[in-house]
Amino acid sequence: MSDALVAVLTNISLVSFLALSAYLLLLAGEVSFGQQAFFGIGAYSAGIATAMHGWGLPSAVLIAAAAGAAAAVLVACATIKLRGMYFAMATLAAAELMRIGFAELTIQQVKHGELVGPNGVEGFRGIRWIFEAGLEPPQFLLIVYALLATVVGLLILLERSPMGVQIRMIGEDEQLASVQGIAVVKTKLLVVAASGALAAIGGALYAHHNTYIEPSNFSVMLGVHALSYALIGGLATAFGPLLGALLDVGLLEGTRVFAQYRMIVFGGLVALLLLWRPRGILDEPLVHAWCRRLRRARQGV
Amino acid sequence: MTAFGDIAQTTIDGVAAGALYALFALGFTMIFGVIRRANLAYGSSVMLGLYVATLAWMTFDISIVLCFAIASAVAIAAGLYVQMLCFPSRAADRQQPNDAHRLMVSVAASFAVWMQLEELATLNMPAHLYPFPALAGDAVIELVGLSIRSDALIVLVSALAVCAALYLTLYRTRFGLGIRATVDLPRAASVVGINVSGVFRKAFVIAAIVGTIGAFVACATAEQLTPKLGMWLTLKAMLAMMVGGLGSLRGAVVAGVALGVLEAHVQRHFGPQLRDASTYLVLFAVLAWRAWRPGAATQFGVGVLGGRGVR
Amino acid sequence: MTVVLSVRGLTAGYGKIQALKGVSLDVEEGGIACLLGPNGAGKTALMFALTGILKAQEGSVTLRGAEIKGLAPHHIVESGVALVPENRLVFPSMTVLENLRAGAYCRSGKGEIDADLAKMLSTFPRLQQRSQQLAGTLSGGEQQMLAVARAMMSRPKLLLMDEPSIGLAPLVVAEIFRIITQVSRQGVTIFLVEQNVHMALKIASHFYLMEQGKVIFSGDPKTAMEDDVIQRAYLGSSAAQHRQGA
Repeated sequence: MSDALVAVLTNISLVSFLALSAYLLLLAGEVSFGQQAFFGIGAYSAGIATAMHGWGLPSAVLIAAAAGAAAAVLVACATIKLRGMYFAMATLAAAELMRIGFAELTIQQVKHGELVGPNGVEGFRGIRWIFEAGLEPPQFLLIVYALLATVVGLLILLERSPMGVQIRMIGEDEQLASVQGIAVVKTKLLVVAASGALAAIGGALYAHHNTYIEPSNFSVMLGVHALSYALIGGLATAFGPLLGALLDVGLLEGTRVFAQYRMIVFGGLVALLLLWRPRGILDEPLVHAWCRRLRRARQGV
Repeated sequence: MTAFGDIAQTTIDGVAAGALYALFALGFTMIFGVIRRANLAYGSSVMLGLYVATLAWMTFDISIVLCFAIASAVAIAAGLYVQMLCFPSRAADRQQPNDAHRLMVSVAASFAVWMQLEELATLNMPAHLYPFPALAGDAVIELVGLSIRSDALIVLVSALAVCAALYLTLYRTRFGLGIRATVDLPRAASVVGINVSGVFRKAFVIAAIVGTIGAFVACATAEQLTPKLGMWLTLKAMLAMMVGGLGSLRGAVVAGVALGVLEAHVQRHFGPQLRDASTYLVLFAVLAWRAWRPGAATQFGVGVLGGRGVR
Repeated sequence: MTVVLSVRGLTAGYGKIQALKGVSLDVEEGGIACLLGPNGAGKTALMFALTGILKAQEGSVTLRGAEIKGLAPHHIVESGVALVPENRLVFPSMTVLENLRAGAYCRSGKGEIDADLAKMLSTFPRLQQRSQQLAGTLSGGEQQMLAVARAMMSRPKLLLMDEPSIGLAPLVVAEIFRIITQVSRQGVTIFLVEQNVHMALKIASHFYLMEQGKVIFSGDPKTAMEDDVIQRAYLGSSAAQHRQGA
């Protein structure tokens, strides 16, 4: 496998975590323009854990997930009661505040004779755990995909569970859901926490893959991109956001002929696609039809 | 300079910046009132116009007036393209203005077009900044010990002119009546024979012109154009509209100016990093307050300053 | 008697739901034609199809001989059809005066419009009193008056009215029907959809009965003030047959 291909595949999976984070919130009926901030929190906390405190990657990822979940819940305390556009803008504002926070974050230590740690706008260099542990890029790729597969598996289990149905009901009609006896606020907070954790895990892996992160990495653009992957790929299953990520990042690498016009072509396709299929490519009707056909095939055999 | 003089000077600078934000917010709110959704491609459609204009200026050395005409024409064309692709006026849509998912979808589509237009603008112009025709040189006007740059004065005057023109159009013409009626109750607008699709287009055209005026004056003052313009414009417009009340034109203007003044004062005392943070803090505070006060309004309800409909 | 509106085999639907399955009727000039029927029969769908707000599929709709099916709503208003919609649909954030002006949107000639405006206000003194008030703050009856006056501002050849008495107190309903009669005397042809069968049949010159997307009965109110017509209107023809059989 060529280095370039490994890099592309890794990028797709890293951004998929962020897309899944946005997707989970979309299921609950909320548009968030701010998941990139939790991606950043995961990146910074995992980086600090390994580069400055010598922890291993697994622990760092766990810490990142916890940090992401906590931050998300904290933000949600203020925003949970907001609807639609208001919620979206509040998440954007919170995310930008966090990004500005990253730019002010300067904690440096001397390790192995050089300065490591976040250095404000200059960013955070030296997140070298992967190389120090002797992991080759293809091995890291496998680890990332294993983690992604676990996450997707868990999400699919979640969707089949009563909780998953409740989440979708909240997404359809919140008032109706609460009248049915669903604890809307509690469930939404759980979704928010899980989304924050998801994004943070992606961020932790991202930081270690790149070895260098800076505040401008976690801009609104990143967040809105991830959101659109979920919307394009389809909201029926957790595979939708992955498809969206694959389409965009894959197209970037795959269509060298479009190099300069990538966004013009892709953007136009996205707009047309959403007009035609408002719930994405893998939308509910399509997935249900496939499942029915699968079931019938199984029964027929 | 005395303490009062310092405050006054900062406020004047803030009002000049805020006037721009007010214009952007006016255009954005104009569109929002009619389509009930955020048009994320707004800033980039205006930016495309400016890029084409400056390219023409650099290549053919045309007059600044012609520059402005080109910028407006391109912005209008881009705006209509966005409208047709992302926000078509369909009778079916008018029956569910509050469908959260339709909101998501058209917002996502407008984001895609934002990317499209931004790339189109910078297609053959990858530099970080480009020169832009100057507006009025560096002349500074002094009055009662306070100074105001002549181009800042032009900003204020144009903003006032736009507000006046918009007010007169909306409240004194049949054209404006049609727009206000469509914003108020689209179904009833169809009933009385207003061409709702036409109103959609008119709103986008007005927004394109208003946005171009603001952005053109901004770039001419700075004498430069950067690819960050699109995002900056859209963000300021959205922030001001949010604070001023979704769909309220009056609120958009007041909020825009207020944000400009706030930024100027924060920057004066705390530096540019905190300047950006302060705007977001204010927005966050406003939104959190509206979420938690008793009787919180619905999605398209009352804002801090403004109210429903085009007022 | 000339026919103002002629509908033949009109079909229309909302997505997969076929609301109109082949409606045919005529409305004669100068009269008050009334459309009755149970809920869900398609009466409001017919009103929306006639005004172009609901896209009609097959069939034809002619206004004084000119085909108007398929035209956009604003062109239909220009041809002379005005609708007083169910639930009034006045512009709540605009004043009474502005609502009336909106009714004249398709017309040109400022002088004539102003003259009509003055006439409308003198015809409806309650509206004159509240001319600067926001329409959303008016009472139900006043909003209904405003909706009628607004529709009249376009000088229609045909006035469609969708359940004008809905949600109004009996005294107000009586006044609304008085207004409808008054408007009819001014020479405007009226096509009225109503649930209040008694009041409607009192003023109608002709009536139609609609059920499940089709017109099933056409008659003269004077000969049909019998119980089973009213039964049919409220409960559907199968219930009326059941009663006859019992």
